[in-house]
Amino acid sequence: MKSTPYNLVMSALYKGKKGDRPPAANPTSIVCRDLMDAAGVSFPHAHTDANAMAELALAGHEIIGFDSVMPEYSVHQEAAALGCEVDWGAPDRMPDSKNFPHEDFSEIPIPDDLLEKPSMRVVLDALSTLRRHVGGKAAVIGKVMGPWTLAYHMAGTQNFLLQIGLGEYEMITRMLRQLMPVTIAFARAQFAAGADIVVLADHATGNLVGAYHYEELLLPIHKEITAEIEGPLILHVCGNCEDRLELFADAGFDGYHFEWQVDSRKAVERVGHRLALLGNINNAQTLFQGTPEDVRKQVRYAIEAGVDLIAPECAVPLATPLENLKAIIAAVHEGY
Amino acid sequence: MNGKIEQIRDVVVSGKHKEIEGLVRTAIDENLDLDAIINDGLIGAMDIVGKKFGAGEIFVPEMLVAAATMKKGLELIKPLLKGEASQPKGTILMGTVKGDLHDIGKNIVIMMLEGAGFKVIDLGVDLSVEKVLAKVRELKPDVLGLSALLTTTMPEMKKVVDMVGEQGLKDTVKIMIGGAPVDSKFAEKIGADGYGKDAAGAVQLAKQLIGIN
Repeated sequence: MKSTPYNLVMSALYKGKKGDRPPAANPTSIVCRDLMDAAGVSFPHAHTDANAMAELALAGHEIIGFDSVMPEYSVHQEAAALGCEVDWGAPDRMPDSKNFPHEDFSEIPIPDDLLEKPSMRVVLDALSTLRRHVGGKAAVIGKVMGPWTLAYHMAGTQNFLLQIGLGEYEMITRMLRQLMPVTIAFARAQFAAGADIVVLADHATGNLVGAYHYEELLLPIHKEITAEIEGPLILHVCGNCEDRLELFADAGFDGYHFEWQVDSRKAVERVGHRLALLGNINNAQTLFQGTPEDVRKQVRYAIEAGVDLIAPECAVPLATPLENLKAIIAAVHEGY
Repeated sequence: MNGKIEQIRDVVVSGKHKEIEGLVRTAIDENLDLDAIINDGLIGAMDIVGKKFGAGEIFVPEMLVAAATMKKGLELIKPLLKGEASQPKGTILMGTVKGDLHDIGKNIVIMMLEGAGFKVIDLGVDLSVEKVLAKVRELKPDVLGLSALLTTTMPEMKKVVDMVGEQGLKDTVKIMIGGAPVDSKFAEKIGADGYGKDAAGAVQLAKQLIGIN
């Protein structure tokens, strides 16, 4: 096998042949201020303009050296299309929703032209642009929000979690089922637009809910989603999810993108034979506040543990030094 | 512990929010010591809830319901408190720093602090350094609590701490920080007075910073 970025990513995702080195991937955003400066493209423009979005994604491959390109930097594309008022932020501030349009758990109408809403179209167009530029060279990664995360946006996170605590499972399930088609439609459209892989982010994290909540409320829905979407799907759930790794594998995902809070050796031992593992370089302490040598140590630890694709654990802080991101690449280039 | 108070504690721990008002009313009618209802019953329950949360036995949904249950009980008792017991133990300003709209952690901490007898003023989310400073000057709190969930917003905490120092307010207000990406090392590094690991930890820390048991 030729050890090209695209081949390394795709082969590692399916635990195929190992090339000269492990791949470095970015299932979530690796954009920081330094990268925006280097690319000459910045937030909030890169959330709303397809060319700017694609250009910034390319910079992650060309300037830093990641083996994949991923153009979605916010978690609000679908929320905006579903009626949330989104503040797209600034170069030093991530976007955020300003309202929760379905706090009362009312029926969520899915627009007929969902995929043509500007916040959705921009991602699809950026993926097509990336496909034209680096298709077959670097892996093109898309990203969609799962129904659980979308429900946080629709109802408000605290409200959604409170209703779970109050045992309103029927209401919760109704909302998740209303939102499921959004996830499926956007993922399919991203593959059609040129994505090789789609990341499905669904924040049923151990910092907020238990494995028992996931198993009862979301696992059945995830199983349906993975059955409906044919292309490679990577689940992203940040926080400590050590208590539910097997459940994620049961859900039928091809890979799981995880945080440093889950020890990579344990993760590989428990579910490494069932799905690919991506991660788990620490953001707050290592990439943001650490040195390139700290980064190198974590990358080597993850590689030795058997993590398939090396990546930051989650969207990196905007003040992350570029040299720390480059240290990830240098460490994977040392080989296995 | 009195059987009724034990019942109140259990109802809060298990989040039976529909039962709390009846129980607390009966306890009041039976002339049980109000302090005992609060401290052993309602707040005692939240200590247990905090421990269960720390041990991963329960999660935020259960914690929110328990806190709401406690609050319902507390609201029935508060108007009846007289003298020293009705005086707040101190004033705490709480808020989430600029760029961060996550407020669940902060809200749980507020409910626990109120339960513990503090007067808490919630400044909300996405707070600019200027707004925090203006509120510190205006309200003269004993403690300022800052929360951040995103690693992207951690640097905002340092800005607030620096500004409090520059404006000569460091001796009048103690600053505590909390949230998923921060730790005691970070608190020390930016010059905050303390770090609360979780809601129960924040209550302990606030007591310590104010100098009460």
